[in-house]
Amino acid sequence: MKRAWLLRLAIAVFLAAVPWLVTSPYHMHIINLVGLYTLITLGLNILSGYTGQVSMGQAGFMAVGAYTCALLMLRLNMPFWPSVLAGVLLAVVCGLAFGIPAMKLRGPYLVMATVGFGEIVRLVLVNWVPVTRGAAGLTGIPVPAFVGLRVSDERRFFYLVVALVAVGVAAALRLSASKIGRALVAIREDDVAAEAMGVPVNVYKVAAFAISAAYAGLAGAMYGPFTSVASPDSFTFDDSVGYLCMSVVGGNRGVWGALVGAFALTVLSELLRPFQSYRLIIYGLILICTVVFLPQGVTGLVMGLIRRWRRGSRGVRGERE
Amino acid sequence: MQYVLNGLPMGAIYALVALGYSLIYAAAGVLNWAQGDMVMLGAYLGFTLYQVVRVNFPVAMLLAMGGIALVGVLIERGVLRPLRRRNSPPINVVIATLGVAIICRNAALAIWGPDAQPFPPPLGSRTVEVGGLRLVPQDMLIVALGVLIMLMLQYFLRYTREGKALRAVAQDRMAASLMGVHAERSDAVAFAASAALGAAAGALVAPLFFVTFSMGAAIGLKGFVAAVVGGLGNIPGAIAGGFALGVIEAAASGLISSGYRDAIAFAVLILILWLKPSGLLSREARQKV
Repeated sequence: MKRAWLLRLAIAVFLAAVPWLVTSPYHMHIINLVGLYTLITLGLNILSGYTGQVSMGQAGFMAVGAYTCALLMLRLNMPFWPSVLAGVLLAVVCGLAFGIPAMKLRGPYLVMATVGFGEIVRLVLVNWVPVTRGAAGLTGIPVPAFVGLRVSDERRFFYLVVALVAVGVAAALRLSASKIGRALVAIREDDVAAEAMGVPVNVYKVAAFAISAAYAGLAGAMYGPFTSVASPDSFTFDDSVGYLCMSVVGGNRGVWGALVGAFALTVLSELLRPFQSYRLIIYGLILICTVVFLPQGVTGLVMGLIRRWRRGSRGVRGERE
Repeated sequence: MQYVLNGLPMGAIYALVALGYSLIYAAAGVLNWAQGDMVMLGAYLGFTLYQVVRVNFPVAMLLAMGGIALVGVLIERGVLRPLRRRNSPPINVVIATLGVAIICRNAALAIWGPDAQPFPPPLGSRTVEVGGLRLVPQDMLIVALGVLIMLMLQYFLRYTREGKALRAVAQDRMAASLMGVHAERSDAVAFAASAALGAAAGALVAPLFFVTFSMGAAIGLKGFVAAVVGGLGNIPGAIAGGFALGVIEAAASGLISSGYRDAIAFAVLILILWLKPSGLLSREARQKV
């Protein structure tokens, strides 16, 4: 128990030090992006890792959060946190509204419906010019402020993002350890059997959609102030696909896979920048190799290695005795 | 009536793409998210043969279909087969084909550059008026060749050895394997055929738009909508879904607003999925492939 707290303290100290170790604002920007992506991927992992539902429309929920938050701040001069809360709530409402008709859908049909949802949101943003200003997007979104302290640079934003990710991770861990989490896993393994065991499958499936929408909505609400812009270009099908890739590459069966996936793919795409036009070709190849050779994602590989290492070290000790 | 007529060419294109999705889904049980990029590659290859090498249009189209069919086989061998042999979860197959799409798109960008290429319509662009209806030669060519290709596909599936094997695998993979059908070979055939269908769609649609490296995404998505509306894995359904989508789109852009055209297509999709969760022509017709 003590060791666990020491580890947590060490992580906290390390995270607090990150903005002072990373000197380039650009790198800081990337790290903050990883934090926002982690939030979205966490939601996706709860959705697909626990109930086996796949969403390729997560950018749609993100857009709902981003535009709601930005519009409330810009047009009604609402303060930051109530606007964020409203964005998250509206995303949840969309998640419910979408999840209820979608609970009947399976496999490719569900994927297609989520794609449709994401595209409809984006097209409404492009076309509803009087409110959303169309393709130009909303600009000049104010930065959040706490008791006079404005989150005006990447360094300060980092602490905000880290706090949110920590809350998100804690909530997801709590959820997975709870009765609800176990019910969700039962649904993933066999939803007919789960239903027979008295798990209200449809309620949980819809709830998982709402939860994933909340995570995406929160990330979206943060994205506006973070870049000071909210435009339809930031919430496309390709973005949704990217988040799904993060979830699968990291490993979608647990909470940590979300962090690993968001970090791995964001950093990979930055590392490949020197390759210029071949960059995304290499990225695609690595993506394919990962899903072919690591069916459980990067965390699956790491967990497997740790298990093997533990078994191995125990074996060595056994020989000595 | 004019809306129906306007919708038919794009409907034929969507139907060809939808057939590609359905063939692979029926035979191999997977979704190929790179199908739209087969359309894009077909358009580029057709463009290169027609405009740079300067062969005539039908030859260019056939060569493009053959060339992209090879790409399809390559995808099956290089990506799908290793995944199947490892028993990977379906989501991994989805991500892998998305990876293929990324590679195709950026390879095209590297080869042909970022500029949109104009593709002159092989029959000229003068409109003909028949009984108060405006007809565009390229539109008629698309519908005619599109239907011809669909008939050829039907012939292939019904009367050739490979086609029959593919149908057997689509109906029951295990039983077909036990009866001596080489299921993996059928997967390759399905990928080749659907890539060729995509390439045909690409070569036909290119004169309507410019050829760009990113054109596959939108057409691929619409073709997928058509396939799902008709019931995935269902061949007549894919054709019906494609034409229905084309006409709905033409009517929506004419009657409501062209900006919301795509949104309407997706709204129709979600509505259909809501009412009938496995597509309009599913279950009963599904076994026929």
